[in-house]
Amino acid sequence: MNFKSAVITFPGSNCDRDALTYLKDLTQGEVLNIWHEESSLPNVDLVILPGGFSFGDYLRSGAMASKSKIIKDVISHANDGRYLLGICNGFQILTEIGLLKGALIQNKSIKFLGKDCYIKKKFNNKFNCNIQNNEVLQIPVAHNEGNFYCDQETLNYLHDEELIAFEYCSSEYSLDDANINGSLDNIAGITNKNKNVLGMMPHPERAYQDFHLSNHGKKIIESILS
Amino acid sequence: MNDEIILQHGLTLEEFKVIKDYLKRDLTIEELGIFSAMWNEHCCYKTSKKWLKKLPTNNEIVIQGPGENAGIIDVKDNDGIAFKIESHNHPSYIEPFNGSATGVGGILRDIFTMGARPIATLDSIRFGNISSDKTKYLLNGVVHGIGHYGNCIGIPNIGGECEFDKSYDYNNLVNAMAIGHVKNDSIFYSKPKTIGGLIVYIGSKTGKDGIHGASMASDVFSEDDEDEKRPSVQVGDPFMEKLLMEGCLELMSSGLIESMQDMGAAGITSSSVEMASKGNVGVHINLDKVPLRQPLTPYEILLSESQERMLAVIEKDNNEKIKEILKKWQIDYEVIGEITNTKRVVFSSNEKIVVDLPVDIIVDDAPEYDREFSLPKKRKYRNFDISNLSIEKTVSNYMNNLNYLDKSWIYNQYDSTVMGDTIKEPGQSSGVVKIHNTDKAIGATTDCNPLYIRINPEKGMIHTVLEAYRNLVASNIKPMAITNNLNFASPLDPNIMGEIVLSITGLSNIAKKLDTPIVSGNVSLYNQTNDRPINPTPVIGMVGCNSNWKKILQNKFINEDDELILLGNSLGIDFSPYYLQDQKIVSSISEYNELSMPDIDLEIKTAKLIQEAADKNLIQSCNDISRGGVFMSLMKMTQKKLGFSIMLDDDKDVFCEYSAGYILTIDPKNKDRIVSMFKKERINFLSIGQVKLDSFEINSKKFNYSDMIEKYYKNFAKIIN
Repeated sequence: MNFKSAVITFPGSNCDRDALTYLKDLTQGEVLNIWHEESSLPNVDLVILPGGFSFGDYLRSGAMASKSKIIKDVISHANDGRYLLGICNGFQILTEIGLLKGALIQNKSIKFLGKDCYIKKKFNNKFNCNIQNNEVLQIPVAHNEGNFYCDQETLNYLHDEELIAFEYCSSEYSLDDANINGSLDNIAGITNKNKNVLGMMPHPERAYQDFHLSNHGKKIIESILS
Repeated sequence: MNDEIILQHGLTLEEFKVIKDYLKRDLTIEELGIFSAMWNEHCCYKTSKKWLKKLPTNNEIVIQGPGENAGIIDVKDNDGIAFKIESHNHPSYIEPFNGSATGVGGILRDIFTMGARPIATLDSIRFGNISSDKTKYLLNGVVHGIGHYGNCIGIPNIGGECEFDKSYDYNNLVNAMAIGHVKNDSIFYSKPKTIGGLIVYIGSKTGKDGIHGASMASDVFSEDDEDEKRPSVQVGDPFMEKLLMEGCLELMSSGLIESMQDMGAAGITSSSVEMASKGNVGVHINLDKVPLRQPLTPYEILLSESQERMLAVIEKDNNEKIKEILKKWQIDYEVIGEITNTKRVVFSSNEKIVVDLPVDIIVDDAPEYDREFSLPKKRKYRNFDISNLSIEKTVSNYMNNLNYLDKSWIYNQYDSTVMGDTIKEPGQSSGVVKIHNTDKAIGATTDCNPLYIRINPEKGMIHTVLEAYRNLVASNIKPMAITNNLNFASPLDPNIMGEIVLSITGLSNIAKKLDTPIVSGNVSLYNQTNDRPINPTPVIGMVGCNSNWKKILQNKFINEDDELILLGNSLGIDFSPYYLQDQKIVSSISEYNELSMPDIDLEIKTAKLIQEAADKNLIQSCNDISRGGVFMSLMKMTQKKLGFSIMLDDDKDVFCEYSAGYILTIDPKNKDRIVSMFKKERINFLSIGQVKLDSFEINSKKFNYSDMIEKYYKNFAKIIN
C-alpha cells in the first residue's frame, strides 16, 4: 500500500514538525508539508492539522486558521471521505471550520495544562479500531483551551450517533475524577458523522517513540492503516 | 547638560566627566541616553568585570565562550549546543506576567540569533514568603508568563527550580535559560564582514515599551515605585517571536545574511554598538527608517526595548530575496543603515545627526570598578540540639514546606513535550531532550543554594556547582559546561561585594576542577529594596550530553525488591544548613557552623563510577541527594505504588545533607558486580534497603504510602491557594 499523507502548517503551528515525523515514522509512505497559503491540497489519504497557536490564537483559538486559503481544499478532502485528523489546535480549527460539532473553551482550571493524561475509546471508528475496549492510553496533553463544550442537543447527538472517539479516564479506566479540563462527559476527541474526521486534544505524536513515556500514540496510525 | 539629567540617566558625575573630556564637547540628549544604556551594570558589567575575567571559559569542547549572544559547546559530529541563562528580575516584580514572558523571549532570541534552533528551556525562580498575597500574585503571574511564552512558541520547558525565602519578599528572581542545537559549520555571529553592507531591521515595530529597561535593571528599588516603573516593562508577543524565529532560521540557512544581533536590553543602541565593536567598523543608521508602532522621538527609538526585533547585516544584492522570504512570515523588514569604516556610531533623523560617537569610548572606555569588599567573619563551632525532633516531626515539617514539595503545580503549566524529543520532563534531577534525528541526549539543570552561599560564598558556590553536577550525573549525562546568572544585592555594600567576589572565586575553582568551563552568563545586581538585600543567588545552569539516549538513567523506582544503595558522605546535622533552617533549629545566619568543604575528588570518582555502571546497564535508576537528604531523594523516586523500606544506623543521616550523595537502585542479581566496582575504586557505599510496593518505611517507622504521596504531590497547591 502506498499511503500518502500531509501536514498543514499555519503561522504559529508548533507541532507540525512533530506530526511530520510521526507520519514518516509510522506510515512509511510519502508525507507532504503544506503551507497554509498554498492554493491546492494534493490528493492524499490523510491530512493532519497540527497543534500550536495558529495566528497566535488571537480572536479565538483556531478561528483565523479556519479562514486560511488551504481550508477550502481541506473541506473537500473531508467531504470526499478521506481521513482528516486535528490534534489540539487542529481540533480547535476543525470546530471553527464547522467540520466538527461543539467548541473548545478555556480549561476549567483557567490554567494551561501540560501533562500526561489517560484516555479510553468510547465508540469505534477508523481512527481507534485497533484499540481494545478496555484499554487505557497514556498520552500527553498541552492546552489552554481544551474544555469541550456544546449544547445538550448536540451532546445527545454525539452520543446517539456514536461520534465520541475518546474520553479522559484514570489510569485504571475509571471516568471518575479523571476530567482534566472540564470537558462535557470527559470528551477528549470526537468525529464527524461520517467518522472520517477526528479532532482530539491529546497529542499522539508525542507518544510513539521508545523514549516517550508511552507508545500508545502509535495506535491511531495503526488503526487507520489496518 | 545639568547634573540632575545626568543622574537621572544612572551615570555618576565622574563618569559623565570622563565622556565629556574625551569628546571635548557637550553631549546631545540622545548620546546621554546611549551612555545611560551602555554604561549600566546590565550591559557593561562595570562592577563584576574584574572578577569575571578569572573564570575558566575555554577547553577543547568550547566553540564560543562568553561575549556572544550565547555560548556554544561541541557535542561531536558537527552538532553544537548553544545555551545561556538570563535574568528578568526587576521587570518580573513590577509586572510578573510580561516581565517573565519577555525574559523567556529574550533568551530564546539569544539562541536563534546564533543560528541555533531552540530545543529546550529551563527556569530558576525565587519568591518571598508565601503567606503574603503579593507573593501569590507574583508566583501566579511569573509562572503564567513563562508558560505562555514558551508554550506558544513551542519550545519544551524541561526543568528548573523554585525556592521561597523571605529575602525575596521585595525582589523576586526570574532567570530563564534556553538551549539550542546548531550545526557547527553554520553558526552565526554578530560580527559584520563587509564595509558598505546594509543594516536591516527585522521583526516587530518599535514602540514605547521598555524605555530605560536596562538602566532600571541596574538600580535599587524603593518601595512603592512599581507603579511608576511599570511602563518600562516590555510587552511580549510569542506569536511574533515564533514568526521571527522561523523567518530568521530560514534566512540564515539560505546564506543570504552575513551577521545577526538581537535587540535585547537597550534595544537598537546596544545591538548596533555591539555590531560595530565586534567588527571593528562603524555604523550609520537612519532612525527615520525604523518601523514604528507610534510616533517616537529619536531618543525614544534609541532606548526602546520593544520585543521580537533583530538587526542583521546583508550584502546589497540580497535585499530583494530576503524581502521575499520575510513576506511569507509576515515580518516587518527595513533597510535602516549601513556598515561604515569610520569606527563611529552615527544615528541620524530628519537629515540631522543626533548621535556621533566613537565606538571605542562607548565600549572600551566603559567604566570598570574595583569596589571595596569584605570577607566573611570566622565562625565558631556549635553543637545543635535536635533531641526534640522525631522522624515523624521532621517529615511533617518537610511536607508542609513549599521548598520540598513536588512543583507540578508550576511545571504542569508548561508544555514540556512539544517538539517530541523530550526524554525527561520536569520534576526529575535534570531535564533531558534528544537532538532531533540523532541518538544524542542533552541534559540540563539549574541550581543554586543561596543559604550555603550566604554562610560562605566560596564554598557555597562549590556546593552549588556540585549539586548541578550530581543532577546531571544522576541521569547519566556527562556534565560539560556552565552558564551562570549572578543575582546579588547592591555591590556598593562591601559585604555584598564580598559575596560577589568570593562566589565567583568559588565558581572559578570548581569549574576548573570539573573541567566544565563557563561559556555564557549574566549579572543582575541591585536586587534589593531599601535596606533589604536578597540572599546571594548565583544560579548555575549546567549542560551535558550522553551520545546514546538509551543509557539515560531514570530517577524513579523501577522494580519492586530492587536494592537501594547509598553513596556519599553525610555532612552531619551540625553542618547541614538547610536541615537546621527548615527544621527551625537555627534562625539567624550568624549561628551556623562554617560550611564544610566538599570532597571534590570523591565527587568526580563517584560520577565516573555511576557512568561506567550505567553504561553497562548495572543500574536501574539513580537520584542525587540534596536539600532534605536521603529522605527527600527517596521521596522523589517513588512512582506507581513503588515505595521503600530503609534502615540507617543513625536517624540523623536520613535527613542531613551529603557530599557526593546518590541513591542507586539495582537489580539484586547485579549486586556483586556493582560491589566489586565500588571496592576497586575504594568508594564507600551502604546497602540501606529495598524498593517495596506500597511501603514507606524509615528505620522501622512506617508511614502510610498513599498519605505521603498525597502530601508530596498535593500540598504545594493547597498551600499556595
